[in-house]
Amino acid sequence: MYGLISMVGCVSGLKWTHMTTVQLFVTCLVDSFFPQTGEAVVDILSRLGISVNFPPDQTCCGQPQFNAGLRKDARAVAEHTIRVFEKTTGDIITPSGSCAHHFRHNYPELFEGDSAWLPRAKSLASRTYEFTEYLVDKLNVTDLGATWDGLLTYHPSCHTLRGINVDRQPRALLQNIKGATLVDLPHAEECCGFGGVMSIEHPELSAEWLKRKISNLEATNSPTLVVTDAGCLMHIAGGLHRNNKSQRVMHIAEILHNT
Amino acid sequence: MTTFRSRILESINNESLQTALDNNTERRLKGRAVAFESIPDWRERIKRAHAVRADVIEHLDEYLAKFIAKNEENGVIVHRAKDAAEAIQIVLKITDSNRFASRRWSETDDRSRRTPLLIAKSKSMVSEEISLNHALEKEGINVVETALGEYIVQLRHERPSHIITPAAHLKKEQVAELFREKLGIPYTTDIPTLTATARKILREVFLTADIGLSGVNFGVAETGAVCIITNEGNGRMVATLPPVHIALMGMERIVPNLNDLALMLSLLPRSATGQKLTVYTQLLHTPLPSTTLRKNQTRHLIILDNGRSRLRNSPLKESLYCIRCGACLNACPVFRELGGHAYIGSDLSIAPYPGPIGSVISPGLLGENYVHLAQASSLCGACKDACPVDIDLPKLLTRVRAGQSPHPQPLSQRARGEGAGLSPLTKFFLRMYTRVATHPGLFVASQKFAALGTFLFAPFSQWIRLPAFTGWGYSKDFPRFAGKPFRERRKSKKVDKETGRQSGRFEGGQVETLADKKTEDFADSASRFINELTALNGHVHQTHNATKDIVEFLKQRGVSKIHLEPNTLDENLLREANIEIANAPDPQIIVGATKAICGLADTGSVLIADGEGSPLEASLLPEIHIAVLKSSDILPSLKDAMALVKGRNVVFITGPSRTADIEMTLTIGVHGPKEIHVFLT
Ligand code: SF4
Repeated sequence: MYGLISMVGCVSGLKWTHMTTVQLFVTCLVDSFFPQTGEAVVDILSRLGISVNFPPDQTCCGQPQFNAGLRKDARAVAEHTIRVFEKTTGDIITPSGSCAHHFRHNYPELFEGDSAWLPRAKSLASRTYEFTEYLVDKLNVTDLGATWDGLLTYHPSCHTLRGINVDRQPRALLQNIKGATLVDLPHAEECCGFGGVMSIEHPELSAEWLKRKISNLEATNSPTLVVTDAGCLMHIAGGLHRNNKSQRVMHIAEILHNT
Repeated sequence: MTTFRSRILESINNESLQTALDNNTERRLKGRAVAFESIPDWRERIKRAHAVRADVIEHLDEYLAKFIAKNEENGVIVHRAKDAAEAIQIVLKITDSNRFASRRWSETDDRSRRTPLLIAKSKSMVSEEISLNHALEKEGINVVETALGEYIVQLRHERPSHIITPAAHLKKEQVAELFREKLGIPYTTDIPTLTATARKILREVFLTADIGLSGVNFGVAETGAVCIITNEGNGRMVATLPPVHIALMGMERIVPNLNDLALMLSLLPRSATGQKLTVYTQLLHTPLPSTTLRKNQTRHLIILDNGRSRLRNSPLKESLYCIRCGACLNACPVFRELGGHAYIGSDLSIAPYPGPIGSVISPGLLGENYVHLAQASSLCGACKDACPVDIDLPKLLTRVRAGQSPHPQPLSQRARGEGAGLSPLTKFFLRMYTRVATHPGLFVASQKFAALGTFLFAPFSQWIRLPAFTGWGYSKDFPRFAGKPFRERRKSKKVDKETGRQSGRFEGGQVETLADKKTEDFADSASRFINELTALNGHVHQTHNATKDIVEFLKQRGVSKIHLEPNTLDENLLREANIEIANAPDPQIIVGATKAICGLADTGSVLIADGEGSPLEASLLPEIHIAVLKSSDILPSLKDAMALVKGRNVVFITGPSRTADIEMTLTIGVHGPKEIHVFLT
């Protein structure tokens, strides 16, 4: 299978092939709960001729603390992350719209007025891409030769859709999967109710949205829901499991990895 | 469980409330989307509106000074109130000095026989903020809310549940029962009948009120104009009919000039109700002259701070850009579950401003009592997306959570510092996690520990069933930690250095872009005007001889007397046809005829200006309003008409009076005319 499209090396004029090294910020959730997602990302990028480096000292972006209002804590984690990636060069790829949003919009907020840290935070932000954004906008790739059998439906995670305005990218990638039938998820843009600490602090609210998301998913008849964020993934999948539903939630990287 | 959380649960379990809220959300979101389609440059407009509001808030003192000076020049009595108590005192003082100047009594009347002072009030969020009704009622003053939704809510002794549709939480059966009980009419769920009942009762209130009290949507610094918009017409009634008008405004509601106002008005109704323009857009500069119904009007303008300066000097400054459209409420999934009555403070009081914007401003305006509200959000960003002035509400919510909200009183332990409103347990765990996340060694060890722990907890499943009290376990299972986290698996795997494969199809040029929407070929302005107004249940009659056709129309309707603005129609012809002409307002007359200074092609609006013969009343009191408009006076849109407004008292009328306050069902003819007929010459 790999041989099928190993022609990449032959494609001339694409300066980034072979040469490019990117840094992977895998996110704490993928690292701890869904390692296969991280592996899919690495694989896909490698197939495109990009070498992927994983700085092992990375932990978490600090968004949970930031969102809860614990800015001192959020700062400590952010400083750690900045330090780790400052030791590296090249683009930083993360399979999470939420973490990309956190780097891009919340880090500058966190370090506002700090002349030492703000430029460092901004420089990290400017290097960061959400995974599908990187594929489509930076590499100009919308067809990864992926295949799928059957229905797929896409839930645009809030921070991917509204946080960093990434929507056409994952949709374009999904559109080009051979054999897949993409069906619209009703009220797709509604939050699934994860919201980090909100799902713990306000479980009653979270539960209602989750219920709605699941019934919208059921209305599509699709057995598989595609997301761009491990947060939504564990939330929706956890809800499906609790209710003995058969649908699966998968990260887009794993879908695109399937050939 | 906190009282806030149990109140949330109450809302969630209230089936009829949930249905009402679902309807509200769906209708409003759809309406808004459709309305924005008619302004293809909306993104650009939102950007500009944001910049205008930012400039105003930045230079608020100068703009306010200009606005106040203009108003004083215009003969308006201006008061400034630094807090709720001061504002209430000012209103009470006005009511006191007008008590005896009332149209109903004179100094010589027996005091004991005087009925209480009557205030007709149109919707004002500021008055809710300062609990004005309560204070006035304590003084024995009779305050009647006149917006249908507010009236219903007042009869139920409730607070409004939505800043735009106050009775959004009620079903028509509840309103029917309420009207039966309180107003003594037979039980009916027919919304037009319910509306007509309210119209009759409230008309009497407008005509006999000593004082009309309204909010203010915008104040225009350049000209001093006070802009008040309503769909039902009650905002016009209270600002036109009683001898005294009190306009109550938050100090931040300023726009620099009439052009900026036109920009805001192209966004506000679209965002609020999905309308291109609100039915009545009033711009009042000077107090109105005397009519047969009252002597010269006195206008008081009360400009309220009540914590706005505090917000302005805080990291929540951007919240003052708000134009109170309510779009963020409609878009908010939290509001959709809660409704406006579940946003409660720790003292159980209901926050006057619900929804995302409310959770941002309430603690700063009213106190730490409301600081926990900001934690009830997933930061999904739907509010920011909906906001017509692009306020970054999620960012502001995180600032409130970070303890950056200012407060009117010194803070208690609970609200002090970072993590405001967060439960102590969550705070504790997050702080532990900070230690872990800043030490990679500890992070790795914790992963191993957690993997082992969760494995022991659920050896045969990928999922753990946590108990409900953990929060997470309330509605979903928790995934088991991976036996080998990503980093471990990566280490053990030989990294494949080969380039691998790729599709070979580089489609950079083909990335999907939305096809440019074809701009319609615009038909000429008259036909656009006709289309717009007809779509709103207005009537347009094209005519070569307006008087002749109007006589015909009046005959058909069996009308023999009209309130006519002078120099509008051929009065001889009218007299010959035995139509009696009045030049002054008279509540018995059912047809009023006025000139339209101009028409607006993109909204189907007509501009009526005050002048001889009381055209403002002629276009308001009767059941049928006839406006005579020259085709050549039709302008493209609101901003083109602003030059005609300068300094005058005017109203843009866009269709017949209407409401959607009961179950969001559109009903025509609440307070203003039920029919509008434009005779186009
Ligand atoms: S914050 Fe924005 S969306 Fe919400 S009411 Fe204010 S102007 Fe409207």
